[in-house]
Amino acid sequence: MAKVAIVVNGSEPKSVYPSFILGTSGLAIGNEVMIFFCPAGSVPWCKKGELEKVTMKGNPDMKDLVQKYVKLGGKLYLCELALEAKDLKKEDIRTDTEIIGATEFMSKASDATVTFSF
Amino acid sequence: MSDTTTHKLDALGLKCPQPILEVTIKAKELKKGDVLEVLADCHSFPRDLKAWCERTGRVLLFCNDEGGKFRAQIQF
Repeated sequence: MAKVAIVVNGSEPKSVYPSFILGTSGLAIGNEVMIFFCPAGSVPWCKKGELEKVTMKGNPDMKDLVQKYVKLGGKLYLCELALEAKDLKKEDIRTDTEIIGATEFMSKASDATVTFSF
Repeated sequence: MSDTTTHKLDALGLKCPQPILEVTIKAKELKKGDVLEVLADCHSFPRDLKAWCERTGRVLLFCNDEGGKFRAQIQF
């Protein structure tokens, strides 16, 4: 099965909805999926409880999507540069999200055959 | 006598890709030979379910349009 790498680089709902819709759909068919939040996409999404609040007309419930993404084994990563760039504290970050550097992410994503950036 | 079981899943009112995600999670509980009957009214459900079955090696027994909702059975 494919490895899928999705990069979130925007702070609006239009960046996270497709990430989680495609991400969960990839997991459903057996793909390995990772979502990486760049600094520009880190706030508010990587703060505890913020993803669950987002809504967008005609789209599924984001809280349900995020729960299922994690339940099906999807990985969430936050670029460590976001901490300083966005004045984030580690304790404010979602517990299901791992803070990693760019090199580690690129290592994980280097054999991804499906990539998206939103 | 067959020991297969037919399970039911109501995914009415859920939007793409939620019905398929519900099927994926339910699938973890099922045994080989079991049948899962799903009700859904998401427009893309028939094609999504066909793709899911093809990708995961399950058998789509049928997916019928019942006028505003779909009823499908999958054999595991």
